[in-house]
Amino acid sequence: MSDILEVDSVSKSFGGVRAVDGASFRIGAPGIYGLIGPNGAGKTTLFDVICGRQFADSGSVRLAGVRIDRLRVHQRVRLGLARTFQECRVLEEETCLDNVLFAAQDKNLGREMIQTFGRSEAYRRTAMAEAERLLDLVNLGNLQAEPAGNLSYGQRRLLEIVSSLIVKPRLLLLDEPASGINPTLLNMLRDFLLRMFAERQIVVVIVEHNMEFIMSLASHILVMHQGRVLEEGPPAAVQTSQRVIDAYLG
Amino acid sequence: MLPARTAPLLSGALFAAALYLVPVPFAGYPYVLFALTLTLCYAIPAMALNLLLGYTGLVSLGHMGFAGVGAYVTAVLMKHGIASFAPSIAAGTLAAGFVGALVGVPCLRLRSHFFIIVTLAVGMLLFLLFNNLDWLTGGAAGLPGIPRPRPLDLGFAVVDPRRPVGIYLLAATVFVLVFVIQYALVRSDFGRSLAAIRQDETLAASRGVDVFAHKLTIFAISAAIAGLGGGLQVVFLRAAAPQSFGLLEDINLVLIVIVGGAGSLFGPSLGALLFVALPEALRVADAFRMVLFGAALVALALFAPRGLWGLAAAAARKLRSDESAVARVGHS
Amino acid sequence: MLKVRGLEVGYGAGRRIVNGVDLHVDAGEIVVVIGQNGAGKSTLLKGIFNMAPFRSGEVTLDDAPVFARSPPALLLAGLAYVPQNRSLFPKLTVAENLRLGGFLLRDRGKVERRLDELHTLFPILAERRRDYAASLSGGEQRMLEIARTLIMAPKVIMLDEPSIGLAPRMVDLVFATARKLAERGAAVLMVEQNVKKALQKSDRGYVLELGRIQIEDRAAALIDDERVGSLYMGVSS
Repeated sequence: MSDILEVDSVSKSFGGVRAVDGASFRIGAPGIYGLIGPNGAGKTTLFDVICGRQFADSGSVRLAGVRIDRLRVHQRVRLGLARTFQECRVLEEETCLDNVLFAAQDKNLGREMIQTFGRSEAYRRTAMAEAERLLDLVNLGNLQAEPAGNLSYGQRRLLEIVSSLIVKPRLLLLDEPASGINPTLLNMLRDFLLRMFAERQIVVVIVEHNMEFIMSLASHILVMHQGRVLEEGPPAAVQTSQRVIDAYLG
Repeated sequence: MLPARTAPLLSGALFAAALYLVPVPFAGYPYVLFALTLTLCYAIPAMALNLLLGYTGLVSLGHMGFAGVGAYVTAVLMKHGIASFAPSIAAGTLAAGFVGALVGVPCLRLRSHFFIIVTLAVGMLLFLLFNNLDWLTGGAAGLPGIPRPRPLDLGFAVVDPRRPVGIYLLAATVFVLVFVIQYALVRSDFGRSLAAIRQDETLAASRGVDVFAHKLTIFAISAAIAGLGGGLQVVFLRAAAPQSFGLLEDINLVLIVIVGGAGSLFGPSLGALLFVALPEALRVADAFRMVLFGAALVALALFAPRGLWGLAAAAARKLRSDESAVARVGHS
Repeated sequence: MLKVRGLEVGYGAGRRIVNGVDLHVDAGEIVVVIGQNGAGKSTLLKGIFNMAPFRSGEVTLDDAPVFARSPPALLLAGLAYVPQNRSLFPKLTVAENLRLGGFLLRDRGKVERRLDELHTLFPILAERRRDYAASLSGGEQRMLEIARTLIMAPKVIMLDEPSIGLAPRMVDLVFATARKLAERGAAVLMVEQNVKKALQKSDRGYVLELGRIQIEDRAAALIDDERVGSLYMGVSS
């Protein structure tokens, strides 16, 4: 039984600066994992390498045993990877419901072309119920028909995360989901993520700066520093680790 | 996921019926039929470009070049009697699609600004081929003397494309066909993926869309449809000339789509009506026409970014909401 | 010298990043504001300098109320600000960049005199005054940005993460520059990521968390204060 996510000696440089310097870790069991570290630790770069926004200079990334580090973004998505963006991306012109349904759509080009003239909307009907349920869980039920561009920032965040979850990914990567969210909405977000995890038993990896949020949500924390994984463990251990505190305080 | 408000099936059928009934009042006015047929010939490449520009967000400044490919392939095959109308225009369509795919493979990997410039270059390159391959295309003089298709016996009537009514009906049929294809593509899952690419490519990719493959597919389809329009045009005009597919026409086509309303189903046709039929009707001189259109474009960019069709749609919506507001007040 | 009372700052309607901050900086001292990412440190400085859309509270400079003044007016009143991102003109020379610091001053003679003073104060910049700013090292560029503010002879200088992205030697250089300014009588307010080093080189410190000041103390005391580490790690007290 292979690990769900395996990162092996990944390195990535940008113009002479080694943003990620031989980072390695494994995630074998479902859970909510936090990826933290001070500025410049390489979290975002490592994240981008796992998702496919960047290609590693060396090292490998495996998803459920399959090497994905040379695949393009959409190929990784088809293998069960889903991600959200720090800057929060939604389809602004489409309604909330359509945003979620689009995530559930079969995007194989051949099948899409067949659907053009076959006009079957079966997937939409089956996904509709789940889409509505998820939107209700994050209080967006009554905004289903509203274009996503009209939502507040926090609502768009939730929409983005809901859209990522409808496809039941194996690995969900959240890039600073708490950034820009007010405390009340943060609680809802935390509860929603915990509930989703209880339903789906997937692996969620969250890059976060908001310590209170990630420590109260994740069961396991990975700390990056200077391009490597410095330490990992349960939140309580990481929070009191002198090595980690020193890394943050410089 | 509806990229634009679309008329339901009934209005579509009514519209098609209206299109076919046009010759009834205008049978005795060959010039009107001429203007309308020419409009239909331009509406087809306009709808093709709309698929790229309006729905996928790809600006192609050399699109009439693909129309030219379709035009010249059709023209050569028909002029030299190698094939009849249907196979000739089919060949033209496929050839244009093929050239589109060829061009698309290297160009679609470029980022938007570079892509726009390269499409301009491609259009100019194709024009140079039309203008200079004398032995094939007739060079600057073009290819005159293209025969009209043979009359078609439908049983209850005979459609003779050698006469104004006949060629108009043929053009109308091709128009309806392209319109239906446009409609099907736009309203399908494929269309939804294109809309996603237009709104946010990075997001689309992260939702599993193979962005490059989608862009290449629509680019080839769009080029093919433009080729179909080009083939129809040269059969209608009985001649192929390189100027019809040069830089000015490339820009004209973009204006037609944008002014008419990019991203809507009817916008390109409205734009074609405005840019083709109206000038013919007004007999306005070429230079003055360009000034007028330039001014129209600026005005639209400022006040109506969704083009004239967008303006009409917004007005219709306002009318409906006003009506319901009045109705509510009336019942207080 | 600089007093801030009840400052609230936000970017979008409704959401406040800085949630009621009181602080003060006196002439001749270096005060550092530390805190996690997203705590509101940069926003705090922007709020003081009137570069954020939603603000409320009080800011006084030398007991004069300056909250409502525009950034140019603040510069003329004696408040300088060096933002986090590079704010140099890379294709202008060092001297030209420095001179541009005096853009608001009418008296060109004064500008030239101050420029000469700066050359004495910062020999490295004097040496390279005819070089393009882009050719300087990271630390030297920071020094140039800080020196540029001195043309206005400010009373208060605010630095947003001056050490960010710099090599350790350069970090020392930047902090040494800040100390030079304080020694000449300016009040220096720094926002910093590099907590240990910044506290070592500062006189007092504030710890900002969730948009509020959580701890305030002498810098030397904060270095040993365990609450600082816990705050950074999100341990609720």
